[in-house]
Amino acid sequence: MQLGDVWTVTTTGWVVLANAVLASAVLVGLGAFLARGKLSSGVPEGRQVLGEFAVDFFIKKARDMAEGHDRARVVGTVTPFLGTFFFLILFSNLIVLIPLPVVNRPPTSFFSVTLALALSAVIGNLVLAARFKGPGGALKHLFWPNPMQWVSEFTDVLSLSLRLFGNIGGEYMTLVLVAAVVPVGIPLILHALGLIPSFVQALVFTLLTASFLASAIHHEEHKKKAKRGLFGRKRSEPVAQS
Amino acid sequence: MNPIFMALVAIVPIAAGAVTAAFAMRKISITALDGMTRQPEIAPQLFTAMLIGMALVEALAIYTLVVTLVIAGKIGV
Repeated sequence: MQLGDVWTVTTTGWVVLANAVLASAVLVGLGAFLARGKLSSGVPEGRQVLGEFAVDFFIKKARDMAEGHDRARVVGTVTPFLGTFFFLILFSNLIVLIPLPVVNRPPTSFFSVTLALALSAVIGNLVLAARFKGPGGALKHLFWPNPMQWVSEFTDVLSLSLRLFGNIGGEYMTLVLVAAVVPVGIPLILHALGLIPSFVQALVFTLLTASFLASAIHHEEHKKKAKRGLFGRKRSEPVAQS
Repeated sequence: MNPIFMALVAIVPIAAGAVTAAFAMRKISITALDGMTRQPEIAPQLFTAMLIGMALVEALAIYTLVVTLVIAGKIGV
């Protein structure tokens, strides 16, 4: 495995594709397993607890940014958007744990994959903003209040993709270089340490996408709330004497 | 050119980037831990904000890593 492969898709294109398909297949299989059988609307039990625990975090995130919008619509649209990114990136990162020589190259250690993920995140943000605020509102967010705000869409793509690629690819390179020197023992410790960035980078990608989305679909009506004085009281209201 | 000099060209930027990012991350984590111990009830929110801040700092170190990789590819390490 050559280290220079990270920039190209030509030489190892099939590895990227096969491993990305493997990660998504595992993800889809697990999702189908968790949602299989009868689901109860009351107190959940068994697999349903795990599934609801996994989705709950994103529902909370979506609910936070739904203020001023139709809440059910925002939650129903944003939750799968964020959840897909998190679990796809997480499973792609965790592929490194499979003890087979070619299969264990995580797809997210190729720049092409992370660039595709970041592009779909930013373009998806624009599409979602256009759905919730209308195309005019989404365009206005690109030029208002700062007329150069559209530049941040491009830097978002760059920073999201380079961060993910740098962390996972760098971790993989370290692993390969160390394993070439000491093939037994030490790579195990590196794998254990590598679990942390795998989770954290998937979480960070999702959280940053969520915060970009929150600022994109932020509703103007919030300004009225900001005009209230201390403790949420309106300025004109007389202070209650006690 | 001297091979040691060429290796230094690739190594010095990543070292500088890592050191500065480490100092910034130290500040972030100390402040976040301070806040968490003072007010444990908002610890989850602080943790999320800490992760985002760390990610933004880390991106700078990653940029130097990318530039270093490009240089390393050019000089054929």
